[in-house]
Amino acid sequence: MKIKSPQDWWAGLMFIAFGLFFIVFALGTPEFINNMMGSKLIAGYQMGSSVRMGPAYFPVMLGALLAVLGLIVLLSSLAAVGPAVAKFHFRPLIFIAISSLAFAYLLKPLGLVLASVILIFICAYGGHEFKWKEVAIMSVVLAVFSVIVFVKGLTLPFPVCPDFIEVCPIR
Amino acid sequence: MEGIFGNLATGFIEVFKLQPVTMWGMTLQHVPFNIIMCLIGCLLGTLIGVLPGIGPVATIAMLLPVTFNLSPIAALIMLAGIYYGAQYGGSTTAILVNIPGESSSVVTCIDGYQMARQGRAGPALATAAIGSFFAGCVSTLVVAMFAPPLAEVALKFGPAEYFSLMVLGLVAAVVLASGSLIKAIAMVILGLLLGLVGTDVNSGVLRFAFGISELADGIGFVTVAMGMFGICEIIANLEQKEHREVFTSTVGKLMPSKEDWRRMIMPILRGTALGSALGILPGGGALLASFGAYTLEKKVSKYSHEFGKGAIEGVAAPESANNAGAQTSFIPLLTLGIPSNAVMALMIGAMMIQGIAPGPQVMTERPQLFWGMICSMWVGNLMLVILNLPLIGMWIKLLTVPYRYLYPSILLFMAIGVFSISNQPFDCFLMACFGLFGYVCVKLGCEPAPLILGFILGPMMEENLRRAMLLSRGDPWVFISPSKPISMGVLIAAIALLVIIALPALRKKREEVFVEET
Amino acid sequence: MLRLLLLILLAAAANPAAAQAWPSKPLRLVAPYAAGGPIDISARLLAAKLQDSLGQPVMVENRPGAGGNIGVDLIAKGPADGYNLVMSAIATLAINPSLYPNLPYDPLQDLRHVTLLVQVPNVLIVTNDLPAKNVKELIALARQRPGKLDFGSGSSGSTGHLAGEMFKIMTGTYMVHIPYKGSAPALADMMGGRIHLMFDNLASALPSIRSDKVRALATTTLKRSSFLPELPTLDESGLKGFNMTTWWGISVAAKTPQPVIERLSMEILKAMDAPDFKDRLRNMGSEPPAIRTPDQFSSFVSSELKIYTELVKRSGAKAD
Repeated sequence: MKIKSPQDWWAGLMFIAFGLFFIVFALGTPEFINNMMGSKLIAGYQMGSSVRMGPAYFPVMLGALLAVLGLIVLLSSLAAVGPAVAKFHFRPLIFIAISSLAFAYLLKPLGLVLASVILIFICAYGGHEFKWKEVAIMSVVLAVFSVIVFVKGLTLPFPVCPDFIEVCPIR
Repeated sequence: MEGIFGNLATGFIEVFKLQPVTMWGMTLQHVPFNIIMCLIGCLLGTLIGVLPGIGPVATIAMLLPVTFNLSPIAALIMLAGIYYGAQYGGSTTAILVNIPGESSSVVTCIDGYQMARQGRAGPALATAAIGSFFAGCVSTLVVAMFAPPLAEVALKFGPAEYFSLMVLGLVAAVVLASGSLIKAIAMVILGLLLGLVGTDVNSGVLRFAFGISELADGIGFVTVAMGMFGICEIIANLEQKEHREVFTSTVGKLMPSKEDWRRMIMPILRGTALGSALGILPGGGALLASFGAYTLEKKVSKYSHEFGKGAIEGVAAPESANNAGAQTSFIPLLTLGIPSNAVMALMIGAMMIQGIAPGPQVMTERPQLFWGMICSMWVGNLMLVILNLPLIGMWIKLLTVPYRYLYPSILLFMAIGVFSISNQPFDCFLMACFGLFGYVCVKLGCEPAPLILGFILGPMMEENLRRAMLLSRGDPWVFISPSKPISMGVLIAAIALLVIIALPALRKKREEVFVEET
Repeated sequence: MLRLLLLILLAAAANPAAAQAWPSKPLRLVAPYAAGGPIDISARLLAAKLQDSLGQPVMVENRPGAGGNIGVDLIAKGPADGYNLVMSAIATLAINPSLYPNLPYDPLQDLRHVTLLVQVPNVLIVTNDLPAKNVKELIALARQRPGKLDFGSGSSGSTGHLAGEMFKIMTGTYMVHIPYKGSAPALADMMGGRIHLMFDNLASALPSIRSDKVRALATTTLKRSSFLPELPTLDESGLKGFNMTTWWGISVAAKTPQPVIERLSMEILKAMDAPDFKDRLRNMGSEPPAIRTPDQFSSFVSSELKIYTELVKRSGAKAD
């Protein structure tokens, strides 16, 4: 047994995993595992009948279908030659994810201006070149633009200044 | 026919009416106020359409209190302008940076963005604008002439019919992918499953939320789209070894060539027809318009091999279908008082607070308002095309901005937009998760577009299936019984489409086997 | 050290004065649903009014999720300073406590209810094809064909659903509940003749009633609605005491100082009495509520909570 198409191999595994995941969470853990653990691990939802379909009906059907399709993709990866999985680049991946998270969780305490600046600095750091001066100018321009367009123009209920500043000069 | 001209004349007179306006304590006589409000609406709509994540629903809701100081007609003209203006603006972002702000621009991303990468952003944007304009004109006329009878057709669609329509839509979703067929089907199903997260409409049970109360209302479309298209695209661009200084090397021409013009005519006509028809259905027909038009083109076009690689038909057809659907979705609102989407529900709210009960009586009781609004849609479409064609030059300039300036701005706007949906950090967290997931999918050769369509249609499909079964007391034949000819017809069409899709794939397989053997 | 002590003392001394100075900074009004619904719209209308009378910006913040519970919980657990308000409704105050097993807040203990803003009656509407021309005939029809009539509603656990359950209990009939996502699609299916009846709120049903697309049989309030004065009430039609409305109003965290609550209540009532605002609320289907003071509103909430707890239990509706 040799994997001829790594892309399909992993894609197949991913589909099977998702399919099983939805089935297990829709149906709940099987009886014998519950007995073994002494409690219900995953509650699950009612299956119902085809007349009165319960909330588990549709996800179980689809999950099963997805798992079967995943299996087909998996098996076909053993038969036909296909492309390899391209290399993952973790630097942009991590910095982009962190910058949007930082923005989201810092917006309320720090206000739109500082949160925007932080987002731009972190995500710019994930790029190819990072020039302090350039990024600083860009962050100022974008922060001002965001305040004008989103807070002033579209009246989004975002704080502009950080919490600890008593009197905000804007607004 | 004469009646129609009379009515349209009433409408245009209302739109261009000069009236006294008091502003900042000054009273000006003879101001074409309604047309100014139309322009403001279109401009604002274009702006929020271009900004990813900020949709027309939130904008209209926020502006609603302001509009109460206007006359009802001016208010409605402006709000409608925001709505279709946003459709124009949304396609710009889809083509330039591969971010669909609305479900209707998901398919525009596929070929529009490829055209932009090949330095053909100008023709792509122009095609979108021209197609939208043509579709807007035709469908406005449809609204004006056939609104009441079409509304009756819309009422023929019940849960069984909608379910069948969703099945057809899902089969069509498979065509969106240009790679492996079976992976595309799997992605559609995964999308369907992700769409089920949240409170189940039929039983009220919370599914797959894992104790996270933010998931109780499900995952938002904008969050998934921004993640799987926007974030994923930024990461993919940044990982290029030889960093791309600018987005595209060549700026290329602004306007479509003669060849482009020739190729876009039929797709625009077909897209307009399909979009106008689907837009009438209040239960989410307009959602299917752009997907349906794309699928149709890919199947009938001579250039079907170019689809997914920058075919102009892949921009022209969905863009015109989507705009046509946007206009005809006013039909259920104006004739039945039933909103077909969140924007229309807001329009009803706006009308009621102004003291107008939406429904068929508006046409007879307040003809100026009814026809004025319809004519304003036509004028608004004209304004948008005049506005957008010169803007193309500016948008293309934007692409020559070094990417290291461009992507932080895109990311910031996406984060702001997604955060504003429910004003809490969790949506941005989800967006980042879908960005990572989208990146994995790209690496595994799985395309995001079918997943997104499954995600949109999944909840509606389940809801209608279960409702149809409840109403029929569990009779599975309800979908193909002769008493439901529409449902049966649509299902037959779905099966036919499935065969059409599967045949070439099977044939290809056989050929491959053949090649291997020899 | 002395300076620090002085500062603390000053801050303590400033606290009672804070009520007099209220409001000295922008207010936040949480609408616990997505932008665009009737509750959101009325919140924005009120915000615009309060902004003028209080002289401070009032920002409407949408915090949708879990049937409105997330937004209400935010205010219930938030600072009790009078700067954080929430548009609470029958769903979040009276129905959800029994519908959701793990409601994070107590609608009576954690919140003070300031003003009831909007009260919309529900109407019983039927398809034009249904032979029943009044409530008596409908009951007879439902008895004659048990389990054959379908009633739609905007969602499981909505007032429309619970009104239907109440109707079933009071008449001893059996009808099948068909839940929808909002009342608009249910109304469309009713015009198409696929479901037979529904209890819809007056605002959304009125256009279809006026244009004869559906037939109204009764209102669910004790008093007839001024919008449809000819329409009898369910109470008149033999279902004694049937009284259900959809309502929403302003609540704040329970520990908010009394003077602030009084001032807030006064300002909101002033806005509600202003002719333009009154007209707009009326256009949304609301008649000026008889309940005006914070105390009246609070006791109204607790009586509604009792009624719906009982009703939800008896109807077997649930969510989690």
